[in-house]
Amino acid sequence: MTATTAFREGMRRTNGAPVLLAGMCILTLLLALPLALALRAMLEAHLGSSLVAEQVASRADYQWWQEFLFQAAGLGTTFVPSIIGFGAVLRNLDALLDNREMATTIAGVTTGWLLIWSFLSGGVIDRLARSRRTRAHHFFAAAGVHFWRFLRLGIVALLVYSFLFGWVHPWLFDDLFGRLTGDLTVERTALLIRLAGYVIFGAVLIFFNVVFDYARFRIVVEDRRSAIGAIAASWGFFRRHFARVIALYLLNGAAFAVLAAAYGLLSPGAPGAGVTMWIVLLLGQAYIVGRHYLKLVFYASQTSLLQSALAHADYTAAPAIEWPDSPAAESIANANPIGP
Amino acid sequence: MLPRVAMAITLLALSAPAAPQQPAAPENTAMAAGTGQPRSPRNANYRILARLDPSARTITGEEVISWRNISNRATTTLQFHLYYNAWRDTHSTWMREEALATGESHGAIEPEDAGSIDIAEMHVTQTGNESNLSSRLRFMAPDDGNARDRTVVEAPLEAPVQPGETVDIRIRWTSHVPRPFARTGAIGNFFFIAQWFPKIGVLQDDGWNCHQFHASTEFFADFGTYDVQLDVPKGWMVGATGREMARTEAAPDRTTHRYIQEDVHDFAWTTSPDYMERRARFEHASLPAVEMRLLLQPEHAGQEARLFASTRAALRYYGEWFGAYPYRQITIVDPAWQSGAEGMEYPTLFTAGTRWLEPAGTRDLEDVTVHEAGHQFWYGIVASNEFEHAWLDEGLNTFSTARVLEQAFYPAYYSRRYFGGFFPLVFKDLPLTRDVDGNRMPSYRQFAESDAQSTPSWRYWPGSGGFITYDKTALWLGTLEHMLGWETLRRILSTYYERFAFKHPRPDDFFRIANEVSGQDLTWFFDQVHRSSNTFDYAIELETPDEDASTVVVRRLGEGVFPVDVRVRLEGGQERRWRWDGRDRWTAFELAGHARPLSAEVDPEHVLLLDVNRTNNSVSARPAARAAANKWSLAWLIWLQDHLLTYGFFV
Repeated sequence: MTATTAFREGMRRTNGAPVLLAGMCILTLLLALPLALALRAMLEAHLGSSLVAEQVASRADYQWWQEFLFQAAGLGTTFVPSIIGFGAVLRNLDALLDNREMATTIAGVTTGWLLIWSFLSGGVIDRLARSRRTRAHHFFAAAGVHFWRFLRLGIVALLVYSFLFGWVHPWLFDDLFGRLTGDLTVERTALLIRLAGYVIFGAVLIFFNVVFDYARFRIVVEDRRSAIGAIAASWGFFRRHFARVIALYLLNGAAFAVLAAAYGLLSPGAPGAGVTMWIVLLLGQAYIVGRHYLKLVFYASQTSLLQSALAHADYTAAPAIEWPDSPAAESIANANPIGP
Repeated sequence: MLPRVAMAITLLALSAPAAPQQPAAPENTAMAAGTGQPRSPRNANYRILARLDPSARTITGEEVISWRNISNRATTTLQFHLYYNAWRDTHSTWMREEALATGESHGAIEPEDAGSIDIAEMHVTQTGNESNLSSRLRFMAPDDGNARDRTVVEAPLEAPVQPGETVDIRIRWTSHVPRPFARTGAIGNFFFIAQWFPKIGVLQDDGWNCHQFHASTEFFADFGTYDVQLDVPKGWMVGATGREMARTEAAPDRTTHRYIQEDVHDFAWTTSPDYMERRARFEHASLPAVEMRLLLQPEHAGQEARLFASTRAALRYYGEWFGAYPYRQITIVDPAWQSGAEGMEYPTLFTAGTRWLEPAGTRDLEDVTVHEAGHQFWYGIVASNEFEHAWLDEGLNTFSTARVLEQAFYPAYYSRRYFGGFFPLVFKDLPLTRDVDGNRMPSYRQFAESDAQSTPSWRYWPGSGGFITYDKTALWLGTLEHMLGWETLRRILSTYYERFAFKHPRPDDFFRIANEVSGQDLTWFFDQVHRSSNTFDYAIELETPDEDASTVVVRRLGEGVFPVDVRVRLEGGQERRWRWDGRDRWTAFELAGHARPLSAEVDPEHVLLLDVNRTNNSVSARPAARAAANKWSLAWLIWLQDHLLTYGFFV
């Protein structure tokens, strides 16, 4: 299977799982919503019954925005002008790539989202690996079975990512970048060095990301219990199929770039009032749905690549989990045997 | 290194009254129109010969200062600034204050990065007798007693210099050019050299005004003529205060550039082999023409039109509003990236500041260029004491800059840089106008109470002095504009400019002119905004206990007092207004018998720009807060969802 075929297969599998897509969107929304409501309360309290609210309701009022930020604390400090439209996308990518600190509440909800996603991803990968509908109880059973394995894998990943962002990133972008550009007087040259830094750091990050991803897929597809064993197997797979794995990763990355660029071009920016406000907000949500879709395509395409390369063509996820009846059900059945 | 004998001979030649290289054509500034007199007192005249060794980053120099005592008292000492010593080590007052401002102590300064200025010899010729003062020099710290600060040196004289008497001071010195501090220094092949030579202080009637170098203030010096020869590597372009009058080959690989300028109080210069030179001309129906010379970084090619346009706008509007720019030329220096030299003013020369990616719609380039060009008026020509009353130049100039930007360049847009600060994004939904951005309320608000503006500037808290100096002044001048009208304020400023061009005005001079021109006693206003650190915050509430009666309650939440209008809009399009002197903590206005109120506002015309909380200045009977909060929390929600998905990269 080529990378392109795997990507197409990933799209096909994701298209066949609309409930999964809807579920992931709702999950993200439900996690984010309480904070949005908290922020809403802050904004409403600050505006009170002021006439300024009329301007704020109809356009972006920079003067009021500064006034709000001056008195804001905690969550309120994240309500900055650069969340408008495509700025939100750049702000988040910048925060990730430049390793910026998060507000405590945002860090909390991010951690929660990662944990819940870790829990659900067993079911998600299982669903995508089977490429057929599964029942909810099956989905959650798979999620539960794989969660502890994923948690162990997650601890290894956490150690690696902590090392990368806690040590390699500062070394690369503060120390080394500072040393290489300290005496430079041409910004363009410094920019090229910065971009080279992103490429190097990105390559290392992608390498580990791929290894951990395929370890997850192998855990689900091959019903592996050992996280370390899955990492070793993932590494083996990566080595054997290096070109296809990277090509597929880049294809998925390109799909995200296209989505982000489309949002950048189409995003009208600050929501106005009335219908235009809803258009802007709906466009934003459409972009968010698009991101969820690509996340699932990312999983599905990599899973299908893995499956296509394993021992036999029909290799699929571990057998469906059959739970025994509860002791009470067994007692009842034993006491009242039905028929011969 | 240039042999000492050669330097002495050259200086001797420079000292000659009719040196052949004297400028052939007089500057616009040379004589005040119709008087036959120099525009400035010209009591501190410098003849300097300096040689730059780029690899060692040293300047070897000799200077002769012809200094005339224009005070009404005799002096037994001379005092000099040695600014570069602020970066000799971390014990200087400048470095200590910088650590206070940033909250971080600077690590040890590497020797090659340090700045220093060492006087090898000082001779004074007084009534025909020359005396060697080299061994008598002593460092002093008049401001804070810091024994390790070496930015001021005093030379006791053998005989007092009487009022009106002139002495010649010959100094031989070496400066080590620092890695850039305070917008002077060198990085790579880029040299921006300011505050680089021993500079005499200002003798006033109450004694020497020669402050130590402080982290948050700038300079003060007397006017004079500068005749400076700069010996640099051949092929390196030079820009400097004044006009280049001669260029000679000092050696096969060296070129000497001679710059002369009358009626200025400082001399800065720059050199680099990398500059591109561009020239343009400012022309105006009623203002003198000015030759504009731009020294541009190659990577900024294509931005010259914006730099010239900004400089033109400053020359035009400052000229039309306050008075003409009196010199024939102006040099715009586009500093190299990371040089730290952006946004600094010197007589007839200033540094702008731009980036490789500087999209149209941002206003940083125009802001800094107009501001520094504007300093030619408020600083260069009206030369107030920046150590003590920095607001007189920085504040007036910040206000003026915002007005020029409003005339010529607004609306600009909010922008933000990403990915190491290299990639800008312009937010076209966030227009920055003078009200929103130019008056600088957001930055003032944070430090509004940190110091009374009347405190000598060098004693401001180092971390916030700039906000009191720049932003508060712009805000209270904007308030004055709303109170008196632009035409009256313009006349105040133009009168101030006219009377104090080429002089050293003090705050009371400005206040006196404001009272005189406005025809009002504005002392109460200056007491509030200048002589105190009070903040202003008026708020309004609308109480409607029953159908037929409403009460408007206006409160003074800040300590500052300002008379304000109160406006209530009623159903049926009616309106009621009151004037309140704003003194008490609160007052109430009854609305019995009137139609139901729709909204109430205190200071509805936003006269008081210093009000730190505008949101509480109004109240509506039909609040729209919920709709606004819904909208913006939903917009923020998209950001948060995207954030979660971005960090979802890890799982």
